[in-house]
Amino acid sequence: MQALTPNKAVKLDAKISPAAPAQSGANVKWAVMNDMQIATAFASAEVEQARQKVLGVTDVSCFPRYGFKGPQAAQWAADHELAIPSSPNSWTLSDQKSLVLRLGGSEFLLEDQIGGIVCEKLSSISARVAGVYKVPRADAAFILNGSAALNLFAELCSLDLRPSALLANDVIMTQLAGISAIVIRQTHNGEPVYRIWCDGTYGAYMWETLIEIAVELGGGAVGLASYQQ
Amino acid sequence: MSLRTTKQNGEWLDRTKKINFTFEGEAFIAFEGDTISSALWAAGQKVLGRSFKYHRARGVLSLANHDVNILVTDGMDTNMRADIVLVKDGMVLNAVNTVGGVKKDKNSFIDSISPLLPVGFYYKAFHTPRRFFPFWEKVIRKASGLGIVNFDYPRILKRKLHTHCDVLVIGAGPSGLTAALVAAEAGLEVTIVDENQQAGGSLGYNRGGNVATASQLTDLLAKVAGYSNITMITGAYAAGYYPDHLIPIVAANGITKVRAKTVIVASGAFEQPPVFRYNDLPGVMLGSAAQRLIYRYGVKPFNNGVVVTANDYGYRVALDLLVAGTKVVAVVDLRAEASSMAAELTKRGVKVYPGHCVYEALASSDKSGVRGAIICAYDEQKNVAITTKKITLECDGIAMSAGWAPAGALLYQAGTAMQFDYAVQQFVPNRIPDGIFAAGKVNGIFELEQRINDGRRAANEALRYLGLSAPEVVVEKHVGACPSHPYPMVPHDKGKNFVDFDEDIQIKDFVNAAKEGFDNIELMKRFTTVGMGPSQGKHSNMNAIRILAKIRNLPVEKIGTTTSRPFFHPTPIGHLGGRGFHSHRLTSLHQWHADHGAVFTDIGAWKRAAYYLTAGQTKEDAIQTEAMAVRQTAGIIDGSSFGKIEVHGPDAAEFLERFFTGVYTTQKVGSCRYVMLLDESGVIVDDGIASRLADDLFYLSVGTSNAAAVYREMQRSQQMWQLDLGLVNVTGAFGAINIAGPAAREILATLTDLDLSYESFPISSVRESFVAGVEARLIRVAFVSDVGYELHIPMVQVPQVWQALLDAGKKHGVRPFGSDTQRLLRLEMGHAMPGVDTDGLTNPFEIGAEWALKMTKAYFIGQRSLQILAKKPLRKRLVAFVLAENFKGEMPMDCNLVLEGREILGRVTSIGYSKFINRCIGLAFVTPAKTAIGAQFQIRTDNGSSVTATVVKTPFLKN
Repeated sequence: MQALTPNKAVKLDAKISPAAPAQSGANVKWAVMNDMQIATAFASAEVEQARQKVLGVTDVSCFPRYGFKGPQAAQWAADHELAIPSSPNSWTLSDQKSLVLRLGGSEFLLEDQIGGIVCEKLSSISARVAGVYKVPRADAAFILNGSAALNLFAELCSLDLRPSALLANDVIMTQLAGISAIVIRQTHNGEPVYRIWCDGTYGAYMWETLIEIAVELGGGAVGLASYQQ
Repeated sequence: MSLRTTKQNGEWLDRTKKINFTFEGEAFIAFEGDTISSALWAAGQKVLGRSFKYHRARGVLSLANHDVNILVTDGMDTNMRADIVLVKDGMVLNAVNTVGGVKKDKNSFIDSISPLLPVGFYYKAFHTPRRFFPFWEKVIRKASGLGIVNFDYPRILKRKLHTHCDVLVIGAGPSGLTAALVAAEAGLEVTIVDENQQAGGSLGYNRGGNVATASQLTDLLAKVAGYSNITMITGAYAAGYYPDHLIPIVAANGITKVRAKTVIVASGAFEQPPVFRYNDLPGVMLGSAAQRLIYRYGVKPFNNGVVVTANDYGYRVALDLLVAGTKVVAVVDLRAEASSMAAELTKRGVKVYPGHCVYEALASSDKSGVRGAIICAYDEQKNVAITTKKITLECDGIAMSAGWAPAGALLYQAGTAMQFDYAVQQFVPNRIPDGIFAAGKVNGIFELEQRINDGRRAANEALRYLGLSAPEVVVEKHVGACPSHPYPMVPHDKGKNFVDFDEDIQIKDFVNAAKEGFDNIELMKRFTTVGMGPSQGKHSNMNAIRILAKIRNLPVEKIGTTTSRPFFHPTPIGHLGGRGFHSHRLTSLHQWHADHGAVFTDIGAWKRAAYYLTAGQTKEDAIQTEAMAVRQTAGIIDGSSFGKIEVHGPDAAEFLERFFTGVYTTQKVGSCRYVMLLDESGVIVDDGIASRLADDLFYLSVGTSNAAAVYREMQRSQQMWQLDLGLVNVTGAFGAINIAGPAAREILATLTDLDLSYESFPISSVRESFVAGVEARLIRVAFVSDVGYELHIPMVQVPQVWQALLDAGKKHGVRPFGSDTQRLLRLEMGHAMPGVDTDGLTNPFEIGAEWALKMTKAYFIGQRSLQILAKKPLRKRLVAFVLAENFKGEMPMDCNLVLEGREILGRVTSIGYSKFINRCIGLAFVTPAKTAIGAQFQIRTDNGSSVTATVVKTPFLKN
């Protein structure tokens, strides 16, 4: 029997961003964050800063996430002292560092921002509760910022995402480039940024698509390190 | 001889920038802003194109994309509409649809045999004798079409964008511009789109010799420019109307889909040609085309012109021709009473002939232009020329103004009910859907002041629709001369009086069509092909309706109009394709597969490893090697693409009971059962495994291709049934690995503390444990091998377990196998796969899956249909078959037919050579008479040979 010989070494012992298959390149720098390999830089800091002004795309799939749904989901959140949005399809911050997205009336997606620990705390709860169903999350997640962000969305999404239509705490569940995605608008360092979540198995496709358009518009990939600054 | 005039106020040219180009090998100079047609006409070129059917010489007709007289190619692109495409420096242009050049087209002889080629002749000819049809087919294919498709055309990205506004105004003429201004004044976001390169519509060229209209337009545009909330898009057309006010705007660089809160259609009207003999000669053009040449491009349409008119518009054209320096020989008016403008023209030396028609345009000796016109009196009651006294006028051009047809395509598409308004002899909107408003000529308003007023009215109505206050605006109904003649046709014994210039359709063609019985407008359209050319009837449909109305002696409104469909103009496929998003899903092992020689295949949305090639291997070698590993030791496959759905809640079992064909309420925790999903007609949709993890939790794994559809159907069913449960689609969150083969248990045992003994963990059971330190759901399956385990683990941790299995199985020679190998392995096991061995009509009885049906249940999806089907005789049945031992002939393929003589008995659904069994094996649908073990049937291969197959039992492994 012939032996299979790998063309290059692939680290299989660490989790890796679902967008990683589309992020190859000699200049890419990697680091492990939240137990997941993530691209921290795609180019020099100066280049990435310039990209961010026009259209920067950052992979933040490594942020911890937690999902749950069910008729008792809102009560369960309250029982765990979780701040939740009062209306469907909106988001809020819990403990200042964790995003809480209410997807429809009875489903929630939580994501710890840098420094957030809500997801980690909830993940340790194993008891099943009637009317509350855990939704395992394996999203690819991205941040878009820069002056041309809406130009990119104009090609990917049929919904109006301008600030006049996508209000500060709105959650949009829509199709981006033909696949289901969640979009919100946040403020980071005083600048508006857009957040995108999609099924992780579409992560590489979404990354390729975002970068292809971003480059055409004068932006490009930005590593997580630049976003953290 | 140059026909370029001095600079015109408001012209679209930059005369400081000269452009060099060639047409048909001859060099020309144009100005920036010229279209190809305007530049050639300015240079005195008259024959610019050849007609589609008869190859007649053609020149400018509308200069507005309402006809396709002039289609050119630049070698890369083809069928470029020269009337509107801007000429660029260095262009090398040629007319399309010619043999030997546009001036000496060798196919122009067809015109002389045109009596042999009436409309519909091809429906009747060529059918007999049948043996000659291949010959005629070649001839017809060669003659059909216009330009030649360039198969090397590069892929040029044409973006498809989405945008939003409060008010979308279609048409930037005086009505549209006014509407936009009113809406913008109210603070709304307005987008206004116009297909012309510059805004203004007819206000820019319909001057009637009065330069004041130019400054009126300038003022209007200046006001529009002062509003930052108005987005002006020119050189782009509103291509269609879709629900909820979605309008695609097509520009050269792509499509913008505009979603508007309200839409104002101010799209104007198409000028319609009067119909007389040789009305298609180069030099015979619409009056508005002459005006466009003059005021947009500074080109004199001709030197000595005749204006044939049937409304007051022709008089304005005559005045404009005088401005351009054309000597207007005469104005010939079909109407008995001349316009009030006749006096001014007479004063300026223009002879006016009321109650006359152009009976015939006279062609120059080489038929490349006009040398004169024969006019005579016209009987408006009978719509015939009175030829007793003919007058011949010498001229080199004829301008035609007979009336208008509304550019109402988008209104029709939106569902507007139109009515025929006799005051303007035009279809006008009667009932318009909510949120859509019409203004200007398309609304039957022709007088300039009232068009502006109508734009204001429409905008105010739009404001009120959006909840804003706005006053009522009264628009005066049309008074005075009718802008359109009710029947501007002049019959001629010798014909060649063209109605549709795209398809060379004459009046007699309609008469003949009616005689054949095609006297309904939709049937007549298809028989004559009127309106079916690239112009889509813009210059011909209204006249066709009038002709049919006369033939049938019915009022025009009883004839009706043909159906308007998007797109408004033919639109390149590249525009429709846009960027071409091809979404695809990758498993977390994708990179590993790629690095290890995987050849990927698309299954549903997924890229799956089909097999792994090593140096020197063929695909067949690779598959057989992988399959042998599974049979002899063990193999692992990345099954992360399987659909995976959790059903939580007290009613989970009840839900499955209704959703699938089997029984689940009695299923024990820790056990697995087969699930089969049918549609309401009893057709197999998908199958899979239901693993009961708790009383109130089932974990479903279903096929890769149908997972999304299955989940959607589950959601839909739950909406109806309202059971106490929750559905969670974990397809992307969980990955899966299947380890199969005689060594599978031993390998897996090294990575888990779970008791894998057959007694503790029998087939069709599920356990939750850890594998290689990763929390996993283990399902004991026998899909590709009697010994097999599906390991369901978080997607991001699949690579970790995969590597652990490879490491643990190294001494056994474990190797990965792909989905193509999986298909062979399950075939060896005799398992039918939905979507492969079934199609969109297959029911469970036909694949022998009666065992999976619990017909005594109260309900399951498709049950009622199965009860009906069960009483009917089977029409086909899936059987397992083998080919002869050591078969060496042409290998049949999936979907090859099973035949008996010329009768089709069925088809092969799966076939392959199994090295392990050393036999060609397969599954096929056959008639019930051929299902007995040992029965034989014939398979016809791709090369036409017949191969004998013998029905056997499954699984093949035990045969």
